[in-house]
Amino acid sequence: MNPIARLILIVVYSVLGLAAAGRSSVELTQKFSEAPLPYSVSAASAVIYIVVAVALWRAWRTVALAGSTVELIGVLTVGTLGYIESNWWPDHTVWTGYGSGYGWVPVLLPVTALYFLIRGRRAERGADAGIAT
Amino acid sequence: MSAYTGVVYPAVLVVCAVLALAALITLTFTRAHRALTWVVTVTYLVVAAQALVVIAGLIGGADVGIVITVGYLIATLALLPLLGIGRLGHPDADDPDPNRPILAPDQIARVDAGAALIVAIALVAAAWRLTVIFGA
Repeated sequence: MNPIARLILIVVYSVLGLAAAGRSSVELTQKFSEAPLPYSVSAASAVIYIVVAVALWRAWRTVALAGSTVELIGVLTVGTLGYIESNWWPDHTVWTGYGSGYGWVPVLLPVTALYFLIRGRRAERGADAGIAT
Repeated sequence: MSAYTGVVYPAVLVVCAVLALAALITLTFTRAHRALTWVVTVTYLVVAAQALVVIAGLIGGADVGIVITVGYLIATLALLPLLGIGRLGHPDADDPDPNRPILAPDQIARVDAGAALIVAIALVAAAWRLTVIFGA
């Protein structure tokens, strides 16, 4: 994986993890009963961001790949359900409106991470195949 | 909290603007990395001043939610170590992790610049939230 992309992704995931963890800790401790589903989703997103940041740093590629995939599925699902089942969401989550509250970074980030992770994996496989032949 | 809204908040905005500008210049001309490190030092000082003023406000009995205020305070401090994260890619970095990326000097400059740009935006957002909390 491109080393610059890897470190920049770690920074972005760390910042988003920090933001989501701070937001969800206030929501879970002070007003969880008002909107359990959105606040649980925000907490889950915080966990995913932190796990992917650590996985990128420790070069746990499978974990990073799985985390980014879950994140992309989550943001697309929550974003879509926010429009078609709006009564399920009495309050916003990190992924509401495909992450519009965070400048759409939540939807762009997993796509970017998956691009670099998959490209890195293909490059490695290509290099391995070259060595084998 | 006029000390925060009148002095600290504008200072944070100016420093973050300079940090973002230095980051953009470094992304283009990596020789500007040294200047970026100076701006990062100033950023540390301004964020430390922000923390002191916010703590003083909390101790002084400002009518704000303590959990959310302390949360944003911790967030601003937690962002600082991300400035200069490129040092972890230095070939001689004191890190036993064999999987860490090893970067060339120009790559370290670009990573630092990218991180500085992201942190500048995040610091402005946190400072703005603190201003809202303190009822500016």
